[in-house]
Amino acid sequence: MNYGPIIFLGIFLTIASSWLGLVLAPQIQFGRQQEIKIEETGEVYPPVRPGLAQQGMEIYKANGCIYCHTQQVRTEGYGADIARNWGQRRTVTRDYLHDKPVMLGTMRTGPDLTNIGVRQTSVLWHLQHLYDPQITSKGSIMPPFRFLFEKRKAGDKPSPDALALPKEFAPEAGFEIVPKQEAKVLVQYLLSLKANAPLPEAK
Amino acid sequence: MSATSPSILRALSPADSGDEVQQRALLAEIDASCRGTLMLFFGASVVWLLIGTAFALITSWKMHSPNFLADISWLAFGRVRPAHLNAVVLGFASEAAIGVTLWLMCRLGRVPLMHAWMVNIAGVFWNVGLAIGIGGILAGDSTGIEWLEIPGYASPLLFVTYALIAIWGIIAFRFRREKHLYVSQWYLLGALFWFPWLYSAAQILLIMEPVRGVVQAAVNWWFGHNVLGLWFTPIGIAAIYYFIPKVLGVPVYKYSLSVIGFWSLALFYNWNGMHHLVGGPLPAWLITVSIVASVMMTIPVITVGLNHHFTMWGHFHKLKDSPVLRFMVFGGMSYTVTSLHGILLALRSVSEVTHFTHSTIAHAHQGLYAFFVMVMFGAIYYIVPRIVQVEWPSARLIRIHFWATAIGIMLYIVPLTIGGTLQGFAMINPDVPFLDLNKYSVVTMTVPYLKMRSFSGFVILVGHLAFATSFVWIVARWIKAARRPQPAQIASHA
Amino acid sequence: MLFVSSVIVLPVAALWALRWAVRHGEFKNLDKTALSIFDDEEPVGRMTDRFPDAPRNSKPSRS
Repeated sequence: MNYGPIIFLGIFLTIASSWLGLVLAPQIQFGRQQEIKIEETGEVYPPVRPGLAQQGMEIYKANGCIYCHTQQVRTEGYGADIARNWGQRRTVTRDYLHDKPVMLGTMRTGPDLTNIGVRQTSVLWHLQHLYDPQITSKGSIMPPFRFLFEKRKAGDKPSPDALALPKEFAPEAGFEIVPKQEAKVLVQYLLSLKANAPLPEAK
Repeated sequence: MSATSPSILRALSPADSGDEVQQRALLAEIDASCRGTLMLFFGASVVWLLIGTAFALITSWKMHSPNFLADISWLAFGRVRPAHLNAVVLGFASEAAIGVTLWLMCRLGRVPLMHAWMVNIAGVFWNVGLAIGIGGILAGDSTGIEWLEIPGYASPLLFVTYALIAIWGIIAFRFRREKHLYVSQWYLLGALFWFPWLYSAAQILLIMEPVRGVVQAAVNWWFGHNVLGLWFTPIGIAAIYYFIPKVLGVPVYKYSLSVIGFWSLALFYNWNGMHHLVGGPLPAWLITVSIVASVMMTIPVITVGLNHHFTMWGHFHKLKDSPVLRFMVFGGMSYTVTSLHGILLALRSVSEVTHFTHSTIAHAHQGLYAFFVMVMFGAIYYIVPRIVQVEWPSARLIRIHFWATAIGIMLYIVPLTIGGTLQGFAMINPDVPFLDLNKYSVVTMTVPYLKMRSFSGFVILVGHLAFATSFVWIVARWIKAARRPQPAQIASHA
Repeated sequence: MLFVSSVIVLPVAALWALRWAVRHGEFKNLDKTALSIFDDEEPVGRMTDRFPDAPRNSKPSRS
């Protein structure tokens, strides 16, 4: 009795079943989902991310922010995501329509960032936090991203871009810290993270 | 590496032969034919083990001491963490897995390694691709997709190697001489077939022509979970099914159970993937299906656990005589515990607490390290002396390796599971601040557990250094023995 | 449609295959298969692993 073909068939069918069920079926169900027009504001949701924010997404991706931060809000009463003000509503499939890649994340060493662009709109806060999280969030275990900034000799007047820093974090006299392009676009990306548009399916 | 000697083989019909000399010649020939290829894979895997362990220590240290090496961009936490994952998963674990799979396929089929050039080329491509890929991750080119971070310029190399190895597996199977199909072979054939399918589907649907929106998440975790469920788990179980009976000289307890175990694993395990997304932005039915499939895993897990346990029943005292047995039993027991724990974690009520916490990481390490890596260590200890015909040089180093890694991984898993679960309870309580240096907060309460994890990493490192030392030493002895002119030896390993 | 039919068809096919296998006595020779990993060089009853510093030809602990 040659078991080979039977075993092969079984091996093939079992993985085919989950491929059908977990990959093809979702694709059929919502793979062609479209943007929606929000009644209250007339805007199309989700919006296309502006160019600088899109560049910032690449920095987020390159530096592995997903390993500490999620971008998904669980439903009210399941976990404390909404109670912690991480979102006004849970996130749904439509929120991620334009994302490539979708960066849901799996760890919350740090807070969820789905709505960080709603929660924290200050460019200065974000730049300071990225430069050294201890500035804005004492006790944080997030690493400093000083390499996204440049230290250079200050002229007679500080550059318009120079980062305002508290004394203990500021460079020595005669030097200033200036965000590199990567830091600036990353902040634009973070400011673009909003998923609070009222959606009918999220009620 | 010459091909087999066809005339000797054709004269033998190993399945029927009762002649001990001929059988010994065949087994020795099989072992010898595997030598070059396997030492390539095992040697590379040891190198990646050390690299992966270094990345692990750096990653772990950074979590509680974020200023550590913070100004070196290519060692940023978010880069070195995926570098660690890929180095240990694709570097150590997968290359050891391939070496063990090749040897088991040859031994079980009672046929020497044919067409070694195919797998040797695969091995070179794999290591080159992986090195380029990990370098790329550190440089900032990660794809941003968990378990698939290797950049697009390196992944085709990896895919070609997987495909070559799978093709080799099918050829080896087709030309086998042993007509009985032992349970390990089903698992190995499964793994060899499933992995290229998984990898290519994931590459196409996530990286080359990404599907739209959160369908990506479904594909991502169908892939990610199945790397464990359809690649590592089958190979690990195949190894335990072979090595425990072989070391003891006792057949598997109830062979019919292994049939049930295999098919229930094949049917249910690959549906588990969405349990990584409980509570996430996906339709409830999709998540529920995976939770149900996760619970159904009790069938294969208990079946396999019973089979292994009762095979060992009455023989536990032999653990003190056999290093291989120690690793296999530790791995087998860890498989049962981590699987049962995993089934609990899939339940919505449990996931509400544990999702997104460090306990998930502890669970992942219990499966990959306490089960799979320990089984691979045991398999390597069994196989290498047989293929190079030289003894391991130091029993002491083996003992250090076993105890350091066994104790080390327990020091990793137990505190971090507890700490992560407590972290979860804190996180779902909105009255507990997320970060407050002066109070009990979600972030600050994890720090002592993270430090404990780093400590455990150093204990594990001791074990890995002992292992690497043994490996280099046995290679040195092998080379020395090969240089010395010797009469043809067919030593059986008593 | 494809999904629903595969969820029904595949388990049915699996159960049918199982019934066929039991009918054809595939499960009768299982013990022989369990023994197939042993042979005259590495027979049942003999351990095949030891520490490198164990004295050769020493008897391992008896069952």
